[in-house]
Amino acid sequence: MIAKIVCYALNGLEGVPVEVETDVNKGMPSYDMVGLPDTAVKESKERVRSALKNSGMLFPMNRITINFAPADIKKEGASFDLAVAISLLKASEQLLGAQVGDTVFLGELALNGDLRPIAGLLPILISAKGHGFTRFIIPEGNAQEARYLGGAEIYPAKTLGDVVRHLIGTDPILPLETAEYIPHAGAHSSADLKFIKGQPMARRALEIAVAGGHNLLMVGPPGTGKTMLARCLPTVMPDLAFDEALEITKIHSVAGVLGEEGIVTERPFRTPHHTATTVSMCGGGNKVVHPGEISLAHGGVLFLDELPEYKRSTLEALRQPLEDGKITVSRAGGTFTFPARFMLCASMNPCPCGNYGSTERTCTCTPAEIRRYRKRISGPLLDRIDLQVEVDDIDYDELTSKAENEDSAAVKERVDRARRIQRNRFEAFGINTNAEMGERELTEFCTLSRKSDEILRGAFERLHLSARARSRIIKVARTIADLDSSEEILERHVFEAVSYRISEMNG
Amino acid sequence: MKVTEDERAYLWVCALSETEPKEKLALLRAASPLDVFRHAEKYLPAGAPCAPLSEREKGVDAFLLSLEKKGYFAVTPLSDDYPEPLKNSSSPPFVLYGAGRRELLRARKFCIVGSRVTPPWAEKLGRSIAEELSERFAIVTGLAEGGDSAAIAGALPSGNLIAVLPCGLDECYPAAHISLKNNIKSSGLLLTELRPEEPARKYSFHARNRILAGLSEGVLVISAGIRSGTLITANCALDCGRDVFAFPHNVGSAYGVGCNELLKRGAFVVTGAEDIFAVYGMTGRKRQEVELTPEEARVLSALRDRGEAHLTLLSEDTGFAVFELSAILSGLEIKGVAVRSGGNKYSAV
Repeated sequence: MIAKIVCYALNGLEGVPVEVETDVNKGMPSYDMVGLPDTAVKESKERVRSALKNSGMLFPMNRITINFAPADIKKEGASFDLAVAISLLKASEQLLGAQVGDTVFLGELALNGDLRPIAGLLPILISAKGHGFTRFIIPEGNAQEARYLGGAEIYPAKTLGDVVRHLIGTDPILPLETAEYIPHAGAHSSADLKFIKGQPMARRALEIAVAGGHNLLMVGPPGTGKTMLARCLPTVMPDLAFDEALEITKIHSVAGVLGEEGIVTERPFRTPHHTATTVSMCGGGNKVVHPGEISLAHGGVLFLDELPEYKRSTLEALRQPLEDGKITVSRAGGTFTFPARFMLCASMNPCPCGNYGSTERTCTCTPAEIRRYRKRISGPLLDRIDLQVEVDDIDYDELTSKAENEDSAAVKERVDRARRIQRNRFEAFGINTNAEMGERELTEFCTLSRKSDEILRGAFERLHLSARARSRIIKVARTIADLDSSEEILERHVFEAVSYRISEMNG
Repeated sequence: MKVTEDERAYLWVCALSETEPKEKLALLRAASPLDVFRHAEKYLPAGAPCAPLSEREKGVDAFLLSLEKKGYFAVTPLSDDYPEPLKNSSSPPFVLYGAGRRELLRARKFCIVGSRVTPPWAEKLGRSIAEELSERFAIVTGLAEGGDSAAIAGALPSGNLIAVLPCGLDECYPAAHISLKNNIKSSGLLLTELRPEEPARKYSFHARNRILAGLSEGVLVISAGIRSGTLITANCALDCGRDVFAFPHNVGSAYGVGCNELLKRGAFVVTGAEDIFAVYGMTGRKRQEVELTPEEARVLSALRDRGEAHLTLLSEDTGFAVFELSAILSGLEIKGVAVRSGGNKYSAV
């Protein structure tokens, strides 16, 4: 008898349906798999054999042929185990009467028959639902992430035995209840702007950066709180909408870094170390293409501490995703596109010794050394960072200021308001934030009054700004005006925008 | 380039003969350059290589031709535009090689030097003083970053600028300033005592500094550490009786210790170009008053009270929020009355 069971393979972030066909024939006992299975899939032979035996079922001692269709795509990983086992049972007539044709089976088997969770379940469920499947049997370990998919019957099972009893109707499993999505549910970030002492410039820059979706560079001596400031970024960013959360969860699910909650409710904050390779940053891999750090930071923040220490090629690879919001990874096995719309936050020391501009310590670097250090960050990359702010090490005991520090919630409220203004403005343009403005939007929405234009011209002459700084300053001025709820870009907005640049950086 | 017979002979003795500076001096004392050139066998110290006269003639011709091809010229004390003050300095250079506006050699000269690491306010002030002084003087300086570059930036637009190199005219030190060097060559004057192909050596900086001081009527030191080349220039200036001027710096500031030391030893205090003009009995042009808004005026006066101040302190002094303040300060910076000095600190100029 021939049995056909549906399961899914993962191709980037998309699920691809795979039919597992099993034929049990009379003849010399044998067990063959065809249809481009890779080693991990072939190894399922032994796992399935043991799991069946240890779940009290028979492994047919006949001539068994298993085919994975379509035969032309490569199948990888252990997520086909359950489908292979069920199709074997069906073909050997151990599941008489069970309806399995429209059910998708997903899961890896342990030797004792337990079901193990698989990576990338959510993207598979979403794709399968799109293909018209509504009934799924999944490992219980994946239940949390499947909970948020509405409009489908999803049965979480602990063991192969449970699945069989469910199918023949002796002990049905209850379908999962759809969970309601709550942003920040189970949020574990302990960062908050109220814990940051001083740094009024950096706090303000942070607010502007988030409000306008700008990338941010913080320059300052070591130990001045650059990392702490960066950690506060997700706390002032707008809440994750469900669609966004689902998209981020898909990426995290494929990468196998999904937490206990099963869905990402908080904006990601990724801090790859500066030894990171280009592949780990952008995604790649030999057979299975994994999303890289920039995709894991999708919808959140990619924080690059000590920016000049990163490999130049790695940094340059960020340019295109920063522009397009996605990354396309091409390998012999195929071409995969992962979303990568993240906010880049970077920090660096002002010079190799770190003390340039410090009040307390003396810098021992020569001007040539400082220039060389700063030249490590290319102009085109710097072009994509709209805000540059100095973080300093002033001795706060000397200050008499008793000012209470604002907490993240208050800042977030202002950010949300500014974002609303931008959404309304750009509705017809397919962008969301000021940072994404191109030349067309700049001329449309950022007309400067004559006075402001003069200021900007003056700034270029007196402060030796490079030409590429111009549109950067205008974009930032637009965001400052939005935070100020001002329709027009006023002079004070331009003035403030001019102050967020470090002239030496733009050499 | 018109060169007299005497100059040709002098050039051979001082630039082409393979002798030590001491021996050159002895040769020049022993006989006229022409005699030495014609009867080198007689005068050259024993053991020194000596080519026949025809070879010597050819050597000088080739050397002059190679200079001319590159647009260089050589000035010897026999030339009538060899700077007079230099002759009166300690160990004047035998030959000066130059490229650019030769007539600047006859101008009144004033030297502005500073350390490679110079605080932004001093660079800004040095630059504006260089700009004003360059209307009356040719500004003499080096080619380094920091203080020298500030002087160059101020004086280059007028073209009244002499940069003295620590290397030959073909070379450039620091190498990053090659385009700056070319700009000076086309609108100002480059000078050096080294033959065009010679690279910068450790000792050539010290030697160059004595030329800086020797050329000029006065030397303004805008910044100097305690053991800096800038101080060497100032000491050379004192040795040959030039006026020394310096910016006053904060007590303890690492790049101002040398300046304060000079002031203690009696250098003139300079806070603006008029202080220098006064010493030479000149009057500078009137300073343009900048128009300030009431907010800007308030912040500027607070900034003047503090000297150098951090944004947070200024915000306390003036009552403006920090982001308002950074907008106002940007305005002041654009108007050229305040300058950002790193680490979110500003100072008035």
